[in-house]
Amino acid sequence: MTANLMAILPYLVLAGGALLVMLVDSFVKSMRKDHLSNLSLLVLLGSLVAQQFTQQYSSDLFAGLLATSKFTFYMNTLFVAIALLTVNYASSLYSRSSSFSSEFYPLILLATLGMCLMAAATDMLVLFIAIEMMSMAVYLMVAGNRKSIKSVEAGFKYLILGAFASAILLMGMALLYGQTGSTLYSSFAAVSSSGGLMTSLAVGLLLIGFGFKIAMVPFHMWTPDVYDGAPSHITGFMATGVKAAAMAAMIRIVWVLIPQVSVVWAPLIGVLAVLTMTIGNLVALAQSNIKRMLAWSSIAHAGYLLLGLMTLLKPTSDSAVLSVVADNAGGALLFYLLAYAVMNLGAFGIISYLAKNRGEEADNIERYAGLSRTRPLVAASLAIFMFSLAGIPPTIGFAGKFYIFEGVVKAGMIPLAIWGVVNSLLSAYYYLRIIIVMYMKDPEESSYKGSSWETAFATSVLAIISVLLGVIPAPIRDVAVAAFKSLGQSG
Amino acid sequence: MVIGLNHYLILAAALFLTGAAGVLARRNTLIMLMGVEIMLCSVNIVFAAYSRALGDMSGHVFVIMNFAIAAAEAAIGLAILVAIYRIKRSVNADELNSLKE
Repeated sequence: MTANLMAILPYLVLAGGALLVMLVDSFVKSMRKDHLSNLSLLVLLGSLVAQQFTQQYSSDLFAGLLATSKFTFYMNTLFVAIALLTVNYASSLYSRSSSFSSEFYPLILLATLGMCLMAAATDMLVLFIAIEMMSMAVYLMVAGNRKSIKSVEAGFKYLILGAFASAILLMGMALLYGQTGSTLYSSFAAVSSSGGLMTSLAVGLLLIGFGFKIAMVPFHMWTPDVYDGAPSHITGFMATGVKAAAMAAMIRIVWVLIPQVSVVWAPLIGVLAVLTMTIGNLVALAQSNIKRMLAWSSIAHAGYLLLGLMTLLKPTSDSAVLSVVADNAGGALLFYLLAYAVMNLGAFGIISYLAKNRGEEADNIERYAGLSRTRPLVAASLAIFMFSLAGIPPTIGFAGKFYIFEGVVKAGMIPLAIWGVVNSLLSAYYYLRIIIVMYMKDPEESSYKGSSWETAFATSVLAIISVLLGVIPAPIRDVAVAAFKSLGQSG
Repeated sequence: MVIGLNHYLILAAALFLTGAAGVLARRNTLIMLMGVEIMLCSVNIVFAAYSRALGDMSGHVFVIMNFAIAAAEAAIGLAILVAIYRIKRSVNADELNSLKE
């Protein structure tokens, strides 16, 4: 038992920290809000440190409910890093504006805990509780600006559709439980490959449930509204953290279900991937609001991720070839989650930075005019993130896309890889438009200006990371492949 | 007539679809929240029925957890609705249109 508790120490730190921050906020009235943010940063760093001490991995914690491995280590580090940056963006905003309340700090810690548990769960009950822990915290964070109708409306839309998706996901779990007689992932292998109608239905419902969370077409309709309405730093957190957590949980489930699902589901996920990236990119072309544009771009990026997921499912009779292809594809997928987090958090960080002085969101692309002259460093960072999202070398976005498409080609699906590259070219148009507005137009009276140096500093660091990992992606990629390998053999 | 597993599953499917229709078709946000709760309850029936049929307790545990989660979801939903009502003086879904292209 003690060994079990030691192994989940990073999660316990997050949970205890969330309660501590909540209590401090309620009872220590004299506490200034930036002290709360410092406390939250401390908790997140504590969780990272605790993780370093618990590196003896175990696949069988609490009678198989949780498993820690290099995979959870990689994902936890990613989630905590995303939360650290989001708290950094929020702190300067929250200490100045009264429209945000300090409940944000415990909520983001709980959301991070939910994400970490999603990646570690090996039981459907734990997975469901983790998903809900994350989702409910995020619903409230989206509605966090209580004086803005856009923010609360986005929160409500996200809640209704998120709860709807959770119910569908849960129905899938219930049917799967009926087929296997257990809620453990390890029992899925017992489902016969001809599992029949009920198993197909169950896996289909699971796919729909996860599809909502990662914004897969045709379950993406909430995305633009919610991303637009939520405060920018929360949008960044949702776009990167929630998507990565859902993807991690999906990888885990798919990986044990492969023998049962690959024949039917690989082509289906392929079709959905193509639809998702094409629709996302086409609609993004027409947006004049940068947050809506990035929302559609995040749908397109979900498409690239699904393409990576499909390579994992590719049925092959030769198991030796399969495992090499799968390791590389899985590593590419995990690397892409990191790449997407770096570039998208950077972009949303800058949007949140520019919003500062006005009490409104900096979402109108036209008003980015002349940013290169008023804020050269910030403009350069945003330009790097846009290049990276478009997949132009030498940025991390290029490396991520390269590995994904490489996996697709190696799995023998060259037309899909070509379609992915065409999509990237298409997306370059709307990303580069922002750079043109920033660099080719003169600053106007209504142009946005930011002020907080903390956010500018954090986004500059992210920009440097984007370029650095774009030039030498191999070390991190090896870590990602090793993380994926630690999931073990499929089925 | 003996009431078997399939009867429970059919009941659950009917409830699930009723709830889904409530979310998708009704324009009153409170009814939409109720629809979601009905969907979650129908899943509870499936878990309980399978748990009984399989003689395995983990389904029952799932049901208990599910109650707590559904209650938390309702609480958060109502809290956000109160925030909306304070600004708009209405909870009709058709009037929630401030997020348009």
